Amino acid sequence: MEKGNGNEAAAQAVLNRSTFGWLWKFTEGKRGTYLMSVILALLGVACMLLSYICLAELIRQLIAGGHEMSFYLQRGVQIGILWILRYVFHSLSTYSSHSATFGLIGNARKKLLKKLGTMPLGAVQSRSSGEYKNIICDRADHVEPTLAHVLPEFTANIIGAVAMFIYMMTIDCRVGLWQLICIPAGFIAFSVMMASTPKYYPDTIKKTKALNAAAVEYIGGIEVIKAFGQSRTSYGKFVKAAKEGAECFINWMQKENFWQNFGMACFPATMLGLLPSGVMYCLNGTLEPADLIVLIILSFGTVTPLITAFGYTDDISKVGEIISDMADILDEKDMKRPEKSRAVPRGHDISLKDVHFTYKDKEVLHGIDMEIKDGTVNALVGPSGSGKSTVARLIASLWEVDSGEIRIGGVNIRDMSLKEYNRHIAYVSQENYLFDQTIIDNIRMGKDGATDEEVICAAKKCGCHDFIMSLENGYQTICGGSGGHLSGGERQRISIARAMLKDAPIVILDEATSYTDPESEAVIQSALSRLTEGKTLIVIAHRLSTIADADKIFLINSGWVEAAGTQQELLASNPLYRNMWESHIAVRKEEA
Amino acid sequence: MLRTFKKFFDLCGEKERKQFFMSIFLGVFHAFFAAMRIPAVYVVIKAIFEGGLSEKQAYVSAGIIFVSIILQTAVSMKTTMLQTRAGFNTSSFKRIEIAEHLRYVPMGYLNDEGLGKITSVATNTMESFSGIAARCVLVISKGIITTLVIVLSMFFFEARIAIVALITMVIYLVGTEFMIRAEGEDSDAFTTSQDSMVARILEYVRGIAEVRNFDLFGKSITDVDSSIDRFTRYSTRMESIYEVAMFFLNILTKLSGIVMMIMSIAFYLGGSMSLVYTVMMIICSFMIFESLDQVGAFNGLTRTIENCADKVSEALMSPTMDIDGKELVPESMTLTVKNVDFSYDKRKIIDGVSFEIPERTTAAFVGPSGGGKTTITQLLARFWDVDNGRILLGGTDVREYSYDSLMKNFAFVFQNVYLFSDTIENNIRFGKPGASREEVIKAAKAACCHDFIMELPDGYDTMIGEGGANLSGGERQRISIARAIMKDAPIIILDEATANVDPENEKLLMKAVESLTKEKTVIMIAHRLQTVENADQIFVIDHGKIVQHGSHSELMNEEGIYRRFISERKEAAGWKLGSRSA
Repeated sequence: MEKGNGNEAAAQAVLNRSTFGWLWKFTEGKRGTYLMSVILALLGVACMLLSYICLAELIRQLIAGGHEMSFYLQRGVQIGILWILRYVFHSLSTYSSHSATFGLIGNARKKLLKKLGTMPLGAVQSRSSGEYKNIICDRADHVEPTLAHVLPEFTANIIGAVAMFIYMMTIDCRVGLWQLICIPAGFIAFSVMMASTPKYYPDTIKKTKALNAAAVEYIGGIEVIKAFGQSRTSYGKFVKAAKEGAECFINWMQKENFWQNFGMACFPATMLGLLPSGVMYCLNGTLEPADLIVLIILSFGTVTPLITAFGYTDDISKVGEIISDMADILDEKDMKRPEKSRAVPRGHDISLKDVHFTYKDKEVLHGIDMEIKDGTVNALVGPSGSGKSTVARLIASLWEVDSGEIRIGGVNIRDMSLKEYNRHIAYVSQENYLFDQTIIDNIRMGKDGATDEEVICAAKKCGCHDFIMSLENGYQTICGGSGGHLSGGERQRISIARAMLKDAPIVILDEATSYTDPESEAVIQSALSRLTEGKTLIVIAHRLSTIADADKIFLINSGWVEAAGTQQELLASNPLYRNMWESHIAVRKEEA
Repeated sequence: MLRTFKKFFDLCGEKERKQFFMSIFLGVFHAFFAAMRIPAVYVVIKAIFEGGLSEKQAYVSAGIIFVSIILQTAVSMKTTMLQTRAGFNTSSFKRIEIAEHLRYVPMGYLNDEGLGKITSVATNTMESFSGIAARCVLVISKGIITTLVIVLSMFFFEARIAIVALITMVIYLVGTEFMIRAEGEDSDAFTTSQDSMVARILEYVRGIAEVRNFDLFGKSITDVDSSIDRFTRYSTRMESIYEVAMFFLNILTKLSGIVMMIMSIAFYLGGSMSLVYTVMMIICSFMIFESLDQVGAFNGLTRTIENCADKVSEALMSPTMDIDGKELVPESMTLTVKNVDFSYDKRKIIDGVSFEIPERTTAAFVGPSGGGKTTITQLLARFWDVDNGRILLGGTDVREYSYDSLMKNFAFVFQNVYLFSDTIENNIRFGKPGASREEVIKAAKAACCHDFIMELPDGYDTMIGEGGANLSGGERQRISIARAIMKDAPIIILDEATANVDPENEKLLMKAVESLTKEKTVIMIAHRLQTVENADQIFVIDHGKIVQHGSHSELMNEEGIYRRFISERKEAAGWKLGSRSA
């Protein structure tokens, strides 16, 4: 048990160190501003201290029987000016820490987004867009309250309290110490409270997770739940989770209730020690009554800021968590491609030599060799999970090979800049993204500065023109969720038109031949035929009949090229291919 | 601010609202018990100035503080529990209300995006509700009420100073309201800049493949940087407005304290106030507005409360239908549709459709996408309620059945398969709760799932979803068919599209569908020629109407959509890529 706690503490220490490590790294470039913010905060503290000294003098004068109103007015004005200065510094301090923090968050966002352009696309896509939104948009903002407030306020509150305490000690150190008498009681109360945390906190985490999971299941699966007539049962489960989610917190609070509130009442009760001790010292003549009154006034200003300061410590670790999530993305490996290409490919032969690739610590390609001739039709086939898509994605430079090389026109693709390389490849998948822009702009993306005529010409070739013209706003229709409701097939055709405009010599169709919209299958097929005319084509197709005429079919199985050749050759020589073909034909026969 | 508070309290249940009010009420007492240090100080100071300082004052003052600690602890224990209960219970009840509401929302109305939003309300929004929102409302209302009570009670001691305090308080509150309003405009601009930044970033992230593919970096579409900069600017601007406002509010309370102090001294010098009172006034003048200062600090959060409240009401806004019919068992499985109209978003989708599907026959719906065939099949199972006309199951209107008793008769196979993050066994068993393992395996075998399940590390106990098995599209489809087989409902509604399924899987999928539909009433959105040909009835749907109806051979003899459809399908099935002749 003891040992377990020790380990936990050690782990926590490491975590904290890294939290501050992250913070340190994160604040790079704005540390000067933060320093400024701290200095301003300290100036604010100094003004506050001075105002209390003025106040003390005023009180002494009053008790000594000073009768000149002008003196008090003067002091009053002084105190007023000091307070104003104090808040001027305070505001400037928080303002500068905020502007620094907002700037940092903005920079972090930019860095993260830029990173998405340089790391392997496959790695980018291993997180969902929802996750990116969560990290880049939502959670990034949560850094602000802590980072912007902690530095100036933590310093101001702690240093302020300590400075006041020291000032009190210079007046009378005995009373200064006596006022702290209730602090141990407060600490004991808080430590009892903290001690029960490990007992209840995990339960609340567990119940909250269970509740969130129940919510996701119930709401996400509501269709299935209703369809199976189980809304009552599932609803009951959710209700139970929701109630437990609340009860665990209420229970925890009930257990800690006394200690928390007792502690909160003890900490600021400086008068408990100050008043009696002050009275006693006055009685034995070692303390001036005027000093006692001054001490009373000063004491009111000492403890409250300390409590405020401790409220922030919890948040710091949360911020560390957020920043380390960002760092996870920023630490991803970049594609190793030069800024400027070192060589120009001659033709578009593609060759893969001994290509290995590991995904999530598991090698999925074990040495792929392939030769693809310029202007030929090539198909990658194989059982699901065989690695055929990975091969296509490596050729498209969505991933980076671990070892081995891919050459295009004799040039290692790692000697070409990504920008240059992308010009050679059109990668068409089932789901190509359409931006929340007009149709014409979406197609135009294929070729920088393409004229309207060129766009319309591409659209016509891809069988888009007619349906686009039938839309209310024609080519000016917005594609995104806010605009015209385009069907899956229509969206697919627009993206094919975009790829056609790009006119890249190598076309990769990654399962682009399975359709989300069977009704427009025929039109999509003819669009694809036009797109691929005269290109070096690499296609992954589920329907083997589609690629029966390919110049070369590569059969990929468990990360190896098992066989390569024409349809006839493979049928004759490879039992796996024959098997796949037969089951395909069995399904198709009735149709054709 | 009052509007925000109203929204907050409207959101709470009756009981929780009372608990919150009680907690605010007791909070005022708490402030008074905390202020007991003032009488304790008074005892000492009075003795100092009026003579007679003795040990007695030491004991009395210590006693008062001690009692104050006890009372504060006692009262805050009570208020803490009231708040905790009210806060957590409110969010728990709201979650339940959302879940309850969903039961009544027409199924057709639900989509991924909407459900995602609702999930986020039920989780994140409710979490910040029980945390930040509740605390913010309580601190603000307690602060205002406490200060008001202090200021009013000051009138009994010293009316002249009390007036200054009252004026300060009024200016403070007016100023706060003013600040919230002033922020309002900028805050709208701020929200707009935030929304546009989020939209830009999402576009960039979702379209990252295209951005790279077509080298769109730095183009206007992907200009995320300027939207980030704009957001940074507006955030900083909002913060500076807030800082300026807080600066004036802070200065206001502090300067007012100084004015009260100087006034007391003037009264003392003028002889109308005793020294004891004057010193006490000086001490108090800086404490009167302690609670008020907290009000200012929490003001920045009122917008969060309003956001929470708005999101929750939005989640509860979707239309509902009455699902609490009678527990009925249909007399037959014949479905009859009589003159049905249905509109969505003011657009007529189904336009005066009538037909009948007798028990144990197969009906195929074909037609162009967007023609309304999906909606018709959804109406049969009451994913929506019709606008006009009637849909009968076994001669009884589907609206007369309770929803659960209606659903007992249907099993669905959708294109989008939702599997729960649970074991495979439990996912299949969902079709028939309480089924034995043998029954589950039997259904899995019928749906051609058994073999691939046995190859998984934990077989039927393999978890699906995050950290669990990654199933292919075809495998997920088959599990959902096993689930439907398990349910053994007499009517099957099936969307046949087999997108993204490889050949081995497609064959198995067909076999699975075959075992599911044996001896059943089958309603399908059909794409495969064979299934269409074998259907007892074929309905061709276009523009919300039945444009053709009959058997395959009948329809092939007619000029029309169907014949075109069939020939196009045949052509598509024979399509080959890269045949250079084409």
